Amino acid sequence: MSIQIHNPGTLPVNDNIPGNDYAFCVDLAGTPWFTSKGAMIAYYGNVAFEPLSRTNLTAMVASQFSSPLYADDWVVAQGQGKLILGDRGYNINSFDLDDGNLTIRASNLLAFEPGLSLKQSIVPGFLTLLGTGKFLASSNGPVMFAEPPLRVDPQALVGWADCPSPSHHFDAAWMHSFLSVVGGFFGMDSDEERQFDFTGAGTVLVQSSEKVLDDGHVYRHIESQTVQLSQASLLQLHRSIGARIQT
Amino acid sequence: MAMELENYKVLKTTIQPGQRVVARQGSMLYYTGDVTFTPYSMSGGGMPGAGAIAGAAGRMMQGEHVGLMVAEGSGTVYFGRNGLYVQVIELDGTGALTVEAERLLAYEGNVQTSIVSLSSQGGVRGAVRGAVTGQGMFTTQVTGYGTVAVLSHGGTVSMTVGGAKPQVVVDPQAYVGHLGNITVDLSAQVGFRDVVGRGSGEAMQLKLSGQGTVWVQASEKKF
Amino acid sequence: MQGNRMLVAELANETIRAISGSMVAYDGAVTFKNAGVGGGDGFKAAFKRKMTGESLSLMDVTGSGTVYFAVDAQDITILELANDTLHVEASQLLALVGQLRTDVKFTGLRGATSGQGLFTTTVTGTGTIAVLSAGGPIIALEVAPQYPLVVDPDAFVAFHGQLNQTFVTDVTWRSAVGGGNGEAFSLRFDGQGIVYIQPEER
Repeated sequence: MSIQIHNPGTLPVNDNIPGNDYAFCVDLAGTPWFTSKGAMIAYYGNVAFEPLSRTNLTAMVASQFSSPLYADDWVVAQGQGKLILGDRGYNINSFDLDDGNLTIRASNLLAFEPGLSLKQSIVPGFLTLLGTGKFLASSNGPVMFAEPPLRVDPQALVGWADCPSPSHHFDAAWMHSFLSVVGGFFGMDSDEERQFDFTGAGTVLVQSSEKVLDDGHVYRHIESQTVQLSQASLLQLHRSIGARIQT
Repeated sequence: MAMELENYKVLKTTIQPGQRVVARQGSMLYYTGDVTFTPYSMSGGGMPGAGAIAGAAGRMMQGEHVGLMVAEGSGTVYFGRNGLYVQVIELDGTGALTVEAERLLAYEGNVQTSIVSLSSQGGVRGAVRGAVTGQGMFTTQVTGYGTVAVLSHGGTVSMTVGGAKPQVVVDPQAYVGHLGNITVDLSAQVGFRDVVGRGSGEAMQLKLSGQGTVWVQASEKKF
Repeated sequence: MQGNRMLVAELANETIRAISGSMVAYDGAVTFKNAGVGGGDGFKAAFKRKMTGESLSLMDVTGSGTVYFAVDAQDITILELANDTLHVEASQLLALVGQLRTDVKFTGLRGATSGQGLFTTTVTGTGTIAVLSAGGPIIALEVAPQYPLVVDPDAFVAFHGQLNQTFVTDVTWRSAVGGGNGEAFSLRFDGQGIVYIQPEER
């Protein structure tokens, strides 16, 4: 058989499986990794996966994983072995942060070393990594690195590093032509009218757009925000959601 | 204007003042520079042969699934859609590219598109084909001189029709488009249901004959 | 085309057996015929398939011409079998050429609680097999007595060799794959052989 056969000795150390942009091998050698649930497709060795709430590394989790909304989606992998990760057939890349910060779409973050700490971004559905260490990210197609100033479709945004958080940009010409026709904005879903505007010095990571997963992350984020609403606003939200469900 | 692949899932277009790119709504990934996007109404964009068919087709083209937009200005725009593969096809002015509207990602503004009723192309059989491929009665013909970017699930292979291969048969679900002087015919073959048929009503095949190129994707999945 | 997502078969008065529905294009004089009861692997296997729900529907493609096969843009790998047996997920089998026989084999129980049986398809003999891998190129992993392997059943494609396959329902794996639906078991391979997995989970 002509295809390359791997074993624990020949698998790469923290790199893509040779010739395979879609699978990655993490070398677990004593130090633990945070890994997202479901990314694991195979492993060699003595490896334990522990939920964040039931690991013996309580102190590490408390200091490095500051994102209660996402805690259920992650485990700590520890032991000795080689882990193989995959994610929906997406391209997987590893990145090194050196005393840096990077914000990434939660559904595109697969694993990170505990030298990095994780926090929830202000932008719903995104997480921020701070510190020094390695992390793995997936993207639908090869990830593109772009420099601001630029505007990006929210669905195509993988993450950003160093530059300020984005602001919303609404395309004036688009809005004009649509407002005159549709007469309203709520529920419009064709993307081009709403973009994320990036300025300043830094790097923006972009992928081929994805159908945004109804992954519960954004829902939990929004739900947690509703505590700020008054009774009247909640009723209004209730009505508008009701109207959307009917259509 | 330059239109090229950034990677196999992303199209990169460089726009200069006075030029326009027509693209699928929702396909803009990101852009740099000063570019504006406006919804594009095909019926206002030079539909040949106005009338009942054009009206109906125009409505189809403006439907949610094949809404188009125009990008104008000065800058670089990247287009892609749901991780589908992008294929760039150059038109040299001689032949027409026939492609289903839902597969069009973007094309240069100086390329002409027209919606043709398949009944005028392949008679009753052609009309049936439109129904089978889930695209109603209409398909899009692209003519002129310029670049067209077409979407496929998993990439395409191009097959030459003509010469040693006078007839190529394609699963309607995997058919992407064709270029050149090709006659498309739809027929059912006894036993063909075993070949393509997972669902019902799929026991059909597209027969292409003439002279030209047909693109076939690596999947029977429509999008 | 990027990668290997299309299988091209040049037939010169020959027959290739492929999964029904996988032909995307052809030219020449080629006929397609259902390979018979249970996909042509004989009455006994067909009966077993009916009992087990392991579905495999094959067609015989015969004639002279070029035939293109593809399934959902999955990556395609060609494996050669020499008087050997390949255990393969029925959904990941694309085509067979040569003196090969397909059958169904009981592979274990899905967890201790449900008691639901699990079955895989076996291909035995000498010939060429095309298998599908979702999400990217297939990954071949060696198993030896000193290094057993654990895989996610949803990423498993095929194996061959002297391997013992067990279903593990340990708590730690369940937490890793996020279960909660009672199906969070893993596949453990011991012995000597090769396991093929795909980058995307089914």
